[in-house]
Amino acid sequence: MGPMDVFSNALQFIGAFVAFSIAFVAYKGVRETSSSSMLRLAAAFVFLGTGFVLQGLYGIGSIGSAPGFEFSVATLLLAGMFLQTAGYFFLAFSHVVDVLLSGKRGVATALVLFPIFALSQTSIETVLRSLSFYFILYGVIETALSYSKNKNPNTLMIAAGLGMLAAGWWVSLVAPDVALLNLLQLLMKEVGLLALFVPVLKFSFRKPGDLHAPV
Amino acid sequence: MPQYRTQGRIIADILVTARDMNMDGQGVGITTLLRKGNVSYSRMAKLIVDLVGAGLLLEETLDKSAKYRISDKGMKFLQAYVQFDDFAQSFGLKL
Repeated sequence: MGPMDVFSNALQFIGAFVAFSIAFVAYKGVRETSSSSMLRLAAAFVFLGTGFVLQGLYGIGSIGSAPGFEFSVATLLLAGMFLQTAGYFFLAFSHVVDVLLSGKRGVATALVLFPIFALSQTSIETVLRSLSFYFILYGVIETALSYSKNKNPNTLMIAAGLGMLAAGWWVSLVAPDVALLNLLQLLMKEVGLLALFVPVLKFSFRKPGDLHAPV
Repeated sequence: MPQYRTQGRIIADILVTARDMNMDGQGVGITTLLRKGNVSYSRMAKLIVDLVGAGLLLEETLDKSAKYRISDKGMKFLQAYVQFDDFAQSFGLKL
């Protein structure tokens, strides 16, 4: 097991921790405000977190897998990728719902173009990677557009984080077997995931709010 | 372009009105809630029934007219709303 494998595996479990932390805060939001946005966010990050765990387990399992178990290890990888794609889909879907409800259909309509982009690929793994990349990219655009309206620094942080994740996915799509680029894409994903953790940290360390604060 | 408000935002706006416009401590009438809440009468009437039923608003009848005050539960809802709205905004979403 090389250092790259260890780093890659650690990344999966860090990703799972970040995703489940976000899902936990979002779930609290569902319970306290009954918000459907929070429900979609919680669902997205539960899928993402489970996907990260399965891919981490795949990483561990593929190192010392006994003959005959290769199939189940490969299934683990595909299941993990599928769940991650589902997670990124829910994240993008949350933005689509927001955009459609606010009556601005500009960027949301671009989503219908994704099958042309994704289905031109060959293997299931590449299709899932392409879809994940597409959904994150859409999330980046919508989050950046939101920042242009609300000027909330946390929104910029999330847009940058998603941007790094998207760049990481793109590198892994175009050059999956180049060692140096593989390291680069892992670093990009790591930085992206840490940026996503900032709102959770801010939420966790927030003082109890002023009951008379403006809404 | 008018800004779209989610159901949660409308409820928060009603609760804020009930909190901030209750100058004399006797509560606010439905006219004030309508003016500040910016929703139709029928929708507001239904929302008020729901909010009173959920314990977020307190209803009292004074001089044959209903007055509404925000409850402790309503205050806690507003506090949670502010926190989670900020969290949702971080992801570029509306609560």
